[in-house]
Amino acid sequence: MKLTKEEIKYIENYLIKNEVKFWDVRLELLDHIVSAIEDKIDNEGISFNEALLDVHHGFGNRIHNGYTYDLDFEKALHIDNKGFKKFTLKAQKEMGRQHRKRFWKTFPKYLMSFRFFIEILIVIGVVYNVHQQSPKTSAIIALIVCFVPEISKVFFGVFDRSNRRSLKMQMAVNLSSLYVCMSYLSMGIFNSYYEDAANKPYVYLTVTFVCLFPFARHGLATYKQIFKENQKEYKLMCS
Amino acid sequence: MYICNMSNSKLYKGSLNTIILKLLNEHDKMYGYEITQKVKVLTKGELNITEGALYPALHKLEAEGLLDVELAKVDNRLRKYYKLTETGTKETISKLNELAEYIKTMQKLVNPKLV
Repeated sequence: MKLTKEEIKYIENYLIKNEVKFWDVRLELLDHIVSAIEDKIDNEGISFNEALLDVHHGFGNRIHNGYTYDLDFEKALHIDNKGFKKFTLKAQKEMGRQHRKRFWKTFPKYLMSFRFFIEILIVIGVVYNVHQQSPKTSAIIALIVCFVPEISKVFFGVFDRSNRRSLKMQMAVNLSSLYVCMSYLSMGIFNSYYEDAANKPYVYLTVTFVCLFPFARHGLATYKQIFKENQKEYKLMCS
Repeated sequence: MYICNMSNSKLYKGSLNTIILKLLNEHDKMYGYEITQKVKVLTKGELNITEGALYPALHKLEAEGLLDVELAKVDNRLRKYYKLTETGTKETISKLNELAEYIKTMQKLVNPKLV
């Protein structure tokens, strides 16, 4: 027996109420729960409510509060969501690992690309020439260059609907922002270390920022790739 | 990890990835619920993989690059199909050999007369 649209909507709302907030996590859970309920109704002859409670319990969520075992359906369904929380956390961990793996796998190829070659030549050229005049300005320019990929993300889906409440995109943002955070951190370390120095060796800072640029730039390229995939999945879901 | 009718489910914990890889090797692509049902049928209900164990294992295999994901619209909802990658196919053969060796070793220990 196929579930009705209303029943599927009910299951989706039940997942939202149980704090499964990411749509890309929810879509897998929804399909599993609907398939399991349809199967249980057909083969075990139980009702929709009984089947849903059964599946809810199967994900590791409690369906009683420890002392009252005969709670009514709605209460039993929302008394605990630890199973779903654990599910999301594990998915988050694996998603992060997947993104990192993709980043390092494509990194050598990206470094060899013509586009990157031109970009790094321009960055080094500008920073080197400015450094001859003013080392401090050169460090600032190198820092700005490191921040450009982060700012560019605004044009790649920050306001896109597919990005909202998507675990895949949340982890992609974390990955691509990592190297920008590192440049910020190195600036903090530099400032505290050379706080009292009369002539600060800005060249260290400049070199650090230029070295971080390829990572930050490839972080943006990976983010864009993941964004396009995610957008495609979202469109398929909404179609 | 498993809800298992057999006396010691801990014995099966380490084999979950191999079970998934083996099933996907025999089928072009499968979705989560289909995998749980297939295991149930093949083991005549003796082994029952819970949802809480299956999906983390699938996500882990996907992150390791052994599985690929394909999305398809089925009955007005999206279904996530898992299929083996090239690396996954190679890994399946190696994992199955590993498991066969393990069974052989255990057999030597438990029932030497049979070996």
